[in-house]
Amino acid sequence: MINDFFNIMLPQICLGLFIVLQLLLSIFLSPRFEKYARIISASGIALSAVLLTSVQAEPQYFGLKNAVMSDYYTVLFHFIILICGFFIVLLMKNLTLKSKQNSYTLHALLLTAIFGAFNIVSANDFLTLFISIELLSFPTYFLIASTRNYYSKEACFKYLITNAISTGVFLFGVSYLYGITSSVNFSEITEFMSENEPSLLYAFSGIMIILGLISKLSIFPFANWVIDVYKGTETSILAFLSTIPKLAMFAIVCRLLVFPLSYSFELAFVLAIISIITAFWANTYAIRENNVKVIFACSSAANASYMLLVAALVSVYNLSTVIFYLVCYVIMNLTVFCFLNITEYNNIGFNINDFKNIFHKNHGFAVCYALTIIALAGFPITSGFAAKIYLFSAVANSGLIFLPFLLALLLLTVIALFYYLKIIMPLFEKNNSEGIKLKAFYSQKFVLFITAAITLIIGICPEKLIELCRFIAYNI
Amino acid sequence: MDIFISIPFLIFLPMAASFLLMSPLFTNNEISIRRFAKSLCGFHLIYTIILFAFFNAANPYTCKLSFFGQDWIESLGIQFAFKIDGISMLLVLLTSFIFFIASMASKMNIRKSHKFYYSMLLLLMSAVLGIFTANDMFVFFLFWELELIPAYFLIGGDFGHEYKEESKKSAVKFVLFTFLGSMIMLLGILLLHYFNYNSANILSSVFENIITTNIPTSIKYLISICFLIGFGVKLPIIPLHTWLPDAHTNAPTPVSMILAGILLKTGAYGIYRFNYQILGDIFSNFAGILAVLALINIIYTAFVAYTQKDIKRIVAYSSISNMGLVLLGLCAFNQIGLSASVFHMIAHSFVTAGLFMICGIVYLRCKTRDINSLGGIAIYMPRLFGFASLIVLASVGIPLFAPFIGEILTIISAMFSDMGTVLKLTAIFSLPLLIISSCYMLKFLHEGFMGQVQEKFSKINDITVHEFVILASITTGLIFLGIFPFVVLNMVG
Repeated sequence: MINDFFNIMLPQICLGLFIVLQLLLSIFLSPRFEKYARIISASGIALSAVLLTSVQAEPQYFGLKNAVMSDYYTVLFHFIILICGFFIVLLMKNLTLKSKQNSYTLHALLLTAIFGAFNIVSANDFLTLFISIELLSFPTYFLIASTRNYYSKEACFKYLITNAISTGVFLFGVSYLYGITSSVNFSEITEFMSENEPSLLYAFSGIMIILGLISKLSIFPFANWVIDVYKGTETSILAFLSTIPKLAMFAIVCRLLVFPLSYSFELAFVLAIISIITAFWANTYAIRENNVKVIFACSSAANASYMLLVAALVSVYNLSTVIFYLVCYVIMNLTVFCFLNITEYNNIGFNINDFKNIFHKNHGFAVCYALTIIALAGFPITSGFAAKIYLFSAVANSGLIFLPFLLALLLLTVIALFYYLKIIMPLFEKNNSEGIKLKAFYSQKFVLFITAAITLIIGICPEKLIELCRFIAYNI
Repeated sequence: MDIFISIPFLIFLPMAASFLLMSPLFTNNEISIRRFAKSLCGFHLIYTIILFAFFNAANPYTCKLSFFGQDWIESLGIQFAFKIDGISMLLVLLTSFIFFIASMASKMNIRKSHKFYYSMLLLLMSAVLGIFTANDMFVFFLFWELELIPAYFLIGGDFGHEYKEESKKSAVKFVLFTFLGSMIMLLGILLLHYFNYNSANILSSVFENIITTNIPTSIKYLISICFLIGFGVKLPIIPLHTWLPDAHTNAPTPVSMILAGILLKTGAYGIYRFNYQILGDIFSNFAGILAVLALINIIYTAFVAYTQKDIKRIVAYSSISNMGLVLLGLCAFNQIGLSASVFHMIAHSFVTAGLFMICGIVYLRCKTRDINSLGGIAIYMPRLFGFASLIVLASVGIPLFAPFIGEILTIISAMFSDMGTVLKLTAIFSLPLLIISSCYMLKFLHEGFMGQVQEKFSKINDITVHEFVILASITTGLIFLGIFPFVVLNMVG
């Protein structure tokens, strides 16, 4: 037990200690020192990332009576989650200034959510997974509602309802699976299924489990929340919402699809079909939208559906492409929401026409933002191009049956380009006014330039990251 | 020193210059930006001419300039590979020349956002050079996509020319059409890559490593159709052409010159590389259908061009018509056809660049492009009228000018093609083009320049020295190629 803690749990323990520290400070420290909350969170995350090097990954380690596990796959996802968390903490200054709340509590909530995401990635049985999902969800509700206006409350409530329903669906599937295999442990279920013929009930429970999990990815049956939630949420929380839950959920969905749920062909087809439906819905919804946040909500749903389609057609190659796409996509999203965070700080609205003439006085910001949108649309010399080619090559390699799916994806990408262009063009348009010079904190500038640079660097030489993803995928 | 005589230098020099222009380090002074861009294009032209002079067409692969390869994404077998053969060399030279005269023509037409405009122009140049020299499917696709970003901004941006809201719409239309085509092309590339790996067991996307002999025929048909749609949008082949007149009409003059002069040729080049070379064994099955489509291109758009009121639209439709001729040359699937089609690409580039230049000059002076309100300006602009008549006569297909040889060779190649009677019939039916094209082009000349002298145009000036140099170089090129066509034809052979 103690050994487990020292072998694989040190980063989690570090995060937990910092959560407690933030909570204690929120009680005892006067509001004058609130500006240090960011620094404490950031140092906690950095320390946790350092401790990640102490985690045993080779060979696979199962700890706490097989409830959690650790290998290179979990370490990679932990690392990316920590990087995203670090950037998000840097972006939170604006929110803490505006919301007039105790910033220690906000940061404690964010760290708790990161802690939950951590445990989702390393979960090795369904109970741990369930608790971790709740640990991720609960702080998220409060974070969404932290701006305390009407829209954010509405967003919070919608997110709560959707998550509650999807958790119910998830538990429903788990109970059936437990009925079939008499276990909730992933390894034991895999072992049991390798010896027995998969039944229809097994496929059904698998579908239910995955449907419950992918509500956070905004995939079709539980997709509609994404629009209202994105509309009502503050941008730094959006940066959180569009990265960390996605990373955690994709990590666990891929693991489930590779191990315990890999014996059902029906599941792959159902997932492929719902991901195409989501892609169609999201891309067509965004055409008529003029709110930038809503457009990015649709774009996030669409991108998640592309990845889910590839993840559903299980193979090692596909897994590596999903990881690569996910990493590139998360970095792009951080840039986008960092830019929106800067404009929000300058009281610029979220209609696409509010962004007119931004380029005129803010070359650096506008170029980074435009570069990222170009990357999201999948144009070259950005990571989006390599990611698109790599992801679509996975569908092409999965066999001719999936050719219609590939064609549908490619055509939907064209629709996606339309709304991305709609976002880019106003930046360079002249209007009658002089144009304002955007003010930004150093932390915001840092995040914007670093993430945009990463997008560009991965675009120019993607080989190293692809090799890493392949290594991870082969060692799962 | 090696880096200065290599293909990456040739391609990435304009891109590097574009990034330099975009960076805040570069001055905002209009004149220095323009001179920098112009001198860079000039240097590039001289560099390419030197390359061309040392290029050995009979044995291109002995030259160390002809190849470049570097692993890019090993897990997909993608190499950053470039190769220059005869056709690539010609098209690279053409690109360099057209961009040079376009950067010269920008002086009169571009009034604001100079920094942005010239950096996008140079980026577009890099992308097009990349398309013409790429030796790997994915690298080809990379440059094909890269070209869309600057083209979008150049068509839709506000550069102080007669900017309208429609420019933005036509830019979006252009990008969406081309992107749709390129996505379908990506499907073809992915399938080809996958089946090449499956049947020949080579994980590579370099053109030479793609062996199609073991791929099932139905798959090959599918891939061919994907490529034809992808390139057919750019060429354009008739049902996919609707973006072209809008984009060409609403873009600033130098951008129209580039669009018609260079970007359309990338479509023909793509059909040559993919459908003609790699999937050549089933190209003969498409030749008949493509020839009929080419015939529709030639005749239908010629009639449409005759009915247009906007002089720029007449030129735009005449481009589609001429690209049909290029496609017909490819369909003939023999050596003459290939030479003819490359030759006509080059000849048409010169003609269309000149015609768009003339339209731009007329619009700058008269503030209208409506053919009904123009007329009688020949008397005020005798030098422009001289050049216009020379270029219009060239485009009609008068001997001594380059397009004559292109048209005649194309029709001869279709007549002597082995692809069946369809090709022969197409050759015969495309002969009226020579008449119809003379109809609309002479209407352009007659109603635009001659006719009733109008008092309102009495204040306009004749062309400046700057414009004279551009038009004179185009006309010289046309006459030179008309008299010495073997400069080009030998390179293809």
